[in-house]
Amino acid sequence: MLHNLSLGILLLGLLEFGYCRTLSFLRYFQQEEYSSSRFLAWIKEKRAIDTRGTAILALAGLLSLILPGGWTTLVIAALATLGLSIVVRIAEEDPRRSGKLKLNMTQRASKIVLVSFGLFALLATGPVVLLLKCCGGGERDLAYFALWGICMAQAPGALLVVANKLLWPAEKALQDRFYADAKRILREVDPFVIGITGSYGKTGAKAALGDLLTQCVGPTFWPKKSINTVMGITRTIREALSPVHRFAVIEMGAYNRGSIKRLCDFTPPKAALVTAVGIMHLERFGSPENVYVAKSEIAQALPPDGILVCNGDSPNARRMAVEHASGKTLLYGLDQSAGPLDCYASDIAFSAQGTSFLIHWGGRSFPGRTPLLGRPALSNALGAFTMACALGAEPAYAVACLANLAPVDNRLVLDSKAGSVSFLRDAYNSNPTGFAAALEVLQALPAKRRIVMTPGMVELGDQQQAQNRRLATMCASVADLVIVVGRINREAILAGLADAEYPKAQIVAVETRDEGFAALSERQSPGDLVLIENDLGDLLEGAVRF
Amino acid sequence: MAKRRKIAVLFGGRSVEHEISVITALQLMLAVDPALYDITPVYIAPNGCWYTGDALLNRTFYASVPGSLSALTEVTLLPKPGINGLTVQATGLVLPVDVFVPVFHGQYGEDGCIQGLFELAQVPYTGSSVAASAITMNKYFCKVYLGAHGVPVLPAALINRDDARADIEATVESICSRSEFSSFPLFIKPCNLGSSIGVSRVGAKHELAAALAKVFRYDTHALVEPCVSEIMEINVSVRDVGRAQASVVEIPVSQSGVLSYEEKYLRPGGKKSGPSQGMASLSRIIDPPDLDPDIRNEVVSHAVRSFSLLGCSGVARLDFIYDLAAGKLYFNELNAFPGSCAFYLWARTAPRVLYTELINDMIETALRTHQSFASLDRDIGLRALKGA
Repeated sequence: MLHNLSLGILLLGLLEFGYCRTLSFLRYFQQEEYSSSRFLAWIKEKRAIDTRGTAILALAGLLSLILPGGWTTLVIAALATLGLSIVVRIAEEDPRRSGKLKLNMTQRASKIVLVSFGLFALLATGPVVLLLKCCGGGERDLAYFALWGICMAQAPGALLVVANKLLWPAEKALQDRFYADAKRILREVDPFVIGITGSYGKTGAKAALGDLLTQCVGPTFWPKKSINTVMGITRTIREALSPVHRFAVIEMGAYNRGSIKRLCDFTPPKAALVTAVGIMHLERFGSPENVYVAKSEIAQALPPDGILVCNGDSPNARRMAVEHASGKTLLYGLDQSAGPLDCYASDIAFSAQGTSFLIHWGGRSFPGRTPLLGRPALSNALGAFTMACALGAEPAYAVACLANLAPVDNRLVLDSKAGSVSFLRDAYNSNPTGFAAALEVLQALPAKRRIVMTPGMVELGDQQQAQNRRLATMCASVADLVIVVGRINREAILAGLADAEYPKAQIVAVETRDEGFAALSERQSPGDLVLIENDLGDLLEGAVRF
Repeated sequence: MAKRRKIAVLFGGRSVEHEISVITALQLMLAVDPALYDITPVYIAPNGCWYTGDALLNRTFYASVPGSLSALTEVTLLPKPGINGLTVQATGLVLPVDVFVPVFHGQYGEDGCIQGLFELAQVPYTGSSVAASAITMNKYFCKVYLGAHGVPVLPAALINRDDARADIEATVESICSRSEFSSFPLFIKPCNLGSSIGVSRVGAKHELAAALAKVFRYDTHALVEPCVSEIMEINVSVRDVGRAQASVVEIPVSQSGVLSYEEKYLRPGGKKSGPSQGMASLSRIIDPPDLDPDIRNEVVSHAVRSFSLLGCSGVARLDFIYDLAAGKLYFNELNAFPGSCAFYLWARTAPRVLYTELINDMIETALRTHQSFASLDRDIGLRALKGA
């Protein structure tokens, strides 16, 4: 009886452990967009294997072999269960409530948990039944079961992949149905679709264009935040596209060659805005040329009388305007040195109130301002302005509307309090252009001391080291204190700072962003301006410990 | 004990002041006398669907909208006389209602829209009628109407969004060419909104276009007014108890020259930092002892007269501007249903009117008005068609 009870108690502990771990792994699986290969690669890279549960189970197994049976076994099982519970309930955070990117329990996530944990429970319970039925309850059963538990502790990640595979046919059918429904709505509403793509800046440009068109020309639909995949767009179309909409601004994300073409087949654009063709996500594409080819799919999808608006400051976006010119092709930018621009801004100045400028368009100049900060935001606003004017907006009114644009979350947003520490949050995935622009704003705004906290930039392929080093050197001329977060780019950043002979006493290197903020609060004082550059997703942040 | 009347308190709605309406309604429902009235809360979600359920009495409920709506019952008011209640969407059952109490700020609730629905359904409702609500919601109409009746108002220009979109430069020039707007600062505000949303104080000509564009995010018409530089705002509430009765006056204290939405509603009240209590938590001096009695009397007399001229009912708040430099008083705007129902003014008026009494009187007035309308002869038969 005691024997059965011990196994039962440990089984309960293992089940609770398995359930919580399933959720923990699911958070990362979800961040990898349920891609099995990317998720498994992440597990491999981060060595996301269980150590805590394994240690407890190993100890329990060992003790049950050494110590006499009976009550002792029961105590060992109870302590092991308690230990497992403490690990997952107290030592580890609930992925649904904490962490920068929380686990979002969507219907799909719930189904995956159900199947995945079902498999876990089946696999965990099976041996217990087997031990009781067949072996008749031997002295060493708890040790055997603990050994099996160690295997099971490693299983949740793999089981998620299996569950996802099992559920895929039903999920695919559901997605197809939603896709067809969204297609039908698009056909019925028939808005003028403007596609936006770019290595960076597309979300900001989308929000600015959606707003300008709504204010200046007519009601416009645009998926909020950075929704840029077929399923994300499908969902927003079904929820929010209505017959009142004259325009639809669709952000098109490229993950590989063909992904923009797929989006263009789904929502065929009549106009396209290309904000930049850079070196972001180089690891996914292989080469800068592949990035260019992938982004060009948007220009190729335009009809003969289409409108193509490209950022002339980005050499490859400029190249696209030449190689894939459309019915009407326009270039915008902040720098005329690379060639003529149809729309450009000059007299750019930054202040705590935002950015002021002079826009040149159609042979006229319009003074204006926007609460948005930095050259990238101004460039996006300019791209939106050019497109809106091409679609019938009155330029002087469009300039007036730029003054009322709302900043996009965490993209160089100033959070200032008089008599306190001010923050410039540029927390979104960073790139060399954005980083340099953030430093320019940091330099331009009044502050007692300027502090930069960053883990550097990622996904820059073989240029990652060099670019981080270059930007670190730029930091040296602006910042009074640099806090380097994590180990991903630590070496490169320190080397860049050393290149500029930056005093070591003004550098702090920490492991995690929490430690970074702790270091910051120790050193900050009123009047300081802190640039938070690139607040990486949990996925990329340091080591994962289980 | 007399039978308790069933009242439906309607709030939320599709206006930008949705949240403020919820705050006012929660306050109001707490003040309703439970011995006299049985409350049915009706929440109009931002998407326009109507819901009822006891969960609506709890402030925390609104933090999880729209997810939490699924626990409620969807209802509607059909524009058909004789139903005398709310119809449950799913079952067609009727929840009887004796009096409808609209607690809305802004569009669709305070501007005559929902009042029109009550008229069609022929049900008693508190507050102003369709016409009075519609005129008072439109700041321009209200000024022109009262101005024509001799109530002093500041000059104003009405700007149409379509004109501004077509040629903003010409619009700006036309404003600046008018002598009454030749010097800055100017106030630019939405014509049909309250709560300071979209309002700008413009210090120079080059800021005018952006301020107009800001208004046109929320409204199709903008109002341009000169800015009284040495300003004292004076507000007073007027209510209908068979005759128009005025409360004590108040002087709201603003920190930035124009009361922003944040100042009105987002600043926590008093020293204790807690959830916003709407207008009731604003910094103000109620019944200022050192206010010149002549000014006070002028405010009260213009307020009572304006309330009557517009045909308002229920409880309204009228806002005046006193130009300290010129010693001149101007009517500014009228809120047909003011934030917090202006109860904080009535609590200080002699004789004192507590919030509960304020609500009782509103409901009884609504029933009287309804009866008065019911006595009108509307049935003159189908003489023209039958005679044909």
